[in-house]
Amino acid sequence: MPARNLEAQVRHQPRVAIVDLHGEINAFAEDVLNAAYADAESRRAEEILLNFSDVDYINSTGIALIVSLLARARKSKRRLLACGLSQHYVEIFQITRLVDFMSVFPDESSALSENPKSIITPREK
Amino acid sequence: MLYQDGGQPRPYPATIRNRTPVQGTGGAGPRPGIQKEIKTAMSTSPVPTNGQPDEQPRDAAFWSSYTTGLKVSNVPSGALNLNVEGKLVNGPLQGFGRMWQKTYSITLNGTSLTAKEVIKTWKERFPEFWPKGNRFFGPLTGIAPGEVALLNLTLTGGIKLSTGVLVLYADEESFTLMTPQGHIFAGWITFSALEENGSLVAQAQVLMRASDPIYELGFRLGMYKEEDKFWQHTLKSLASSFGIDVPVEMQAICVDPRMQWSHAKNVWHNAAMRTTIYTISTPLRWIRGRGRKRNQQ
Repeated sequence: MPARNLEAQVRHQPRVAIVDLHGEINAFAEDVLNAAYADAESRRAEEILLNFSDVDYINSTGIALIVSLLARARKSKRRLLACGLSQHYVEIFQITRLVDFMSVFPDESSALSENPKSIITPREK
Repeated sequence: MLYQDGGQPRPYPATIRNRTPVQGTGGAGPRPGIQKEIKTAMSTSPVPTNGQPDEQPRDAAFWSSYTTGLKVSNVPSGALNLNVEGKLVNGPLQGFGRMWQKTYSITLNGTSLTAKEVIKTWKERFPEFWPKGNRFFGPLTGIAPGEVALLNLTLTGGIKLSTGVLVLYADEESFTLMTPQGHIFAGWITFSALEENGSLVAQAQVLMRASDPIYELGFRLGMYKEEDKFWQHTLKSLASSFGIDVPVEMQAICVDPRMQWSHAKNVWHNAAMRTTIYTISTPLRWIRGRGRKRNQQ
């Protein structure tokens, strides 16, 4: 299977910016991910939702990139959320302890609902 | 906006601009020959995530399984096994000090090596490339996902430290080690090789925070330099093994300058302090052991 370079699209909603990710999150994804994140926070959204439903590969460098985004979000007191992760990547988020800081939702609609029900709720805010 | 090809933004095509995101297309499906049983120990019930059947993606075999505490399966002779068994792994988010991303890289020009060959050598001879006074006791099975290695390190001032690492991720072109509670830093180190623009680059990338306030103080008093020297030595040794002598390049980015005071309590697990206490109390344990033997006789 050929590698799919990461593409990201940002949709701005009143309270939340949604970053749709497509492809692979690896060392080559850094510029795309950072540019999309900068766009997402440009309108001062309270929350940024990373939509992983079209991401088919994340390696350890990719996880490190997500950690960097999480650090940026915490610095600016924004919540970073995740949705659309396959069961496998939910487990990877657990192993790497990203879930200590990040709510993980099954899909976008559940993340954006009035009473969001996450798969995992972070232990730390 | 759509971001691709190096992050240059360009406007959405009109048909995409207001689209609803496509859900449930995650998971590339398994590749032949890559099947791994994932032992889950989730704190929540297994909820379907993106609505797709849970086929194993192609990287499933490269990741460690979820674990609630490290287990040392084999203690090689000469290794001090302290501060590892039962410990949780800590990512950079669980540490105390400033978060750093440090990249040490070396260009291996003038060889016909491939990235896979470099990583194969690096995995096989990993302990050999370390500076003197620091020992890496790798698992018998080699560097493979989920394996735990013991580390016996010498810090500035000759302080001994016994700790370990979990092999978080390992494929043919990279591998990542993650640190347990009590380690000098909370985070991970990714070792990788990359063929780009006709050059072959090997690198070690550390994403870390000092685990607790004592280590953070130590880092500021000189341990950062020691750490830099450590990985520069490792990369130079790797290059030397291929007959190459070139300088190591280094890039350091402070990802988050703040301390995480809520994690100051990590000091309880401080492996340097625990190793020192263990070493100091060795004569006491020896005397106690002899006393027990006498009583048994």
